[in-house]
Amino acid sequence: MRCGVESITPQIAATLVRAIASRGDREAFKDLFGFYAPRIKTVLMRGGAAAEIAEDLAQETLIAVWRKAASYDPQKATVSAWIFTIARNLRIDRFRKDQRAQLHQVYELMLPAETDPPDVPFEAVERERRVRAALEGLPQEQVRVVELSFFEGNAHGDIATKLGIPLGTVKSRLRLAMARLRDFLGENS
Amino acid sequence: MTITHHPDEETLLAFASGSLDEPRSVVVAAHVALCPCCRATVAAFEQFGGALVERAPPAAARAGSLDETLARLDEAAPPAPALHQPEPDCPGVLAPYEVGRWRWIGPGVHWRKVEVPESEGTRVFMLKAAPGSSLPHHGHSGVEWTCVLQGAFRHDLGRYGPGDFDAADDTVDHTPLVEEGDICICLVAMQGDLELRGWLGRLLQPFVRL
Repeated sequence: MRCGVESITPQIAATLVRAIASRGDREAFKDLFGFYAPRIKTVLMRGGAAAEIAEDLAQETLIAVWRKAASYDPQKATVSAWIFTIARNLRIDRFRKDQRAQLHQVYELMLPAETDPPDVPFEAVERERRVRAALEGLPQEQVRVVELSFFEGNAHGDIATKLGIPLGTVKSRLRLAMARLRDFLGENS
Repeated sequence: MTITHHPDEETLLAFASGSLDEPRSVVVAAHVALCPCCRATVAAFEQFGGALVERAPPAAARAGSLDETLARLDEAAPPAPALHQPEPDCPGVLAPYEVGRWRWIGPGVHWRKVEVPESEGTRVFMLKAAPGSSLPHHGHSGVEWTCVLQGAFRHDLGRYGPGDFDAADDTVDHTPLVEEGDICICLVAMQGDLELRGWLGRLLQPFVRL
C-alpha cells in the first residue's frame, strides 16, 4: 500500500481525473486513491458507519471515480466536491432500508441534462475560493458543529453531549455559522 | 419563471450533505431542478462537503485496500438503474418512483400518491387543483413542504407560482386559494394526514387516507 498522499490541489486533482478519463492512467488513480480513500473513510466513520463498511464505501467511491472520470466537468465542481457527492450518494444507497428508496438517483436527476457552458467561467474555481475563505473565516468550533449536525447527522442534544457544551451553545454556534456562511456564499446567484 | 420563495439555507445544507429525509429531499430536489440560484447554493454546500473531506485526517486503510480496488477497476459497471416512464405532469426527479393515478378527492381537487418510502410519518403526493378552488385545509400535525409545478396559489404569506417552495409547519393554519387561469399542480411532502373539510370531506375521510 502506497503511503497516503498528504495534500492535493484542485488543479492537480483535476489533472489526475483527466488522465484517468483520457488514457485509463492507473498511476493517476493510485494518487487519487491515496489522498481521497482514507479521508472519505474518516468522514463516513464520523457519520456512524462501521470501519469495514466505511472502507468498502470509500473503495466504491474511488471505483466510481474511475468509471465516471469522463463525465467529470471541472467547470461545474472541483474534484473534491464531485467526489463528496459520489460518496454521499453511495452512502445513501448503502444505508437505505427500503427497495423503493431512490434518493441517490434524485440528486443526479435534478441537474440540468444539457452541458451548456456555465454562466460564470471557472465557476467551480470561484466557488472553491469562496468556500475556502468561509472555512478559514469561521471559528473552528462553529465549523465543527456544522460538520457534526449536517454532515455527520447528529441531533443537537447529541452534539452537546459529545462536545460537553450546553444545548444553547450548540444552537447559537449553528446559528452564527449559518449567518456567516450566508454572507460568504449568499451572493452566488 | 420567476421564483420568489426558496428553501432556507439550513434546508439546502441538510439536503446537500445528505442528512435530509427522502420525502422532504424529493420536494427540495424538485425546486432545485427549477431554480438556478438554489442549484448554486447546493453546489457551494457540496464544495463545503468536499473541503471537509480534504481536511479530514486520513483513516488507516484495510491491508491490501489499494490492490483490492485496482483489481476491481475493470469489472463491469453495475447496470443503470431503472427509471419509470415519465408520467404526464411529473417532474423529472420523480422518475425513480412509482406514481399512482390521479384520484378525485373533492370539488376541483385531485390527488395522487408518489411511492417515496415514508419517513417519520412524512409522505409524498401530488395535488392538482382547478383554478379558483381551495386546496385541502392545511391544519396538520407536522411539516408540510410544497413545490409548485404549474399554476399558482395564494395564502397569507404570498403568491406561490411555478418553482416556488413553501415550507409550513403546525404553527401555520391557512387555506391556499388557487389562482384563476391555470390548473395548479404541486408536489407535497406532508407529515400526518391531510384533513378534508366540510361534509364531503367527513364523508370521504373514512375511505381515503390522504
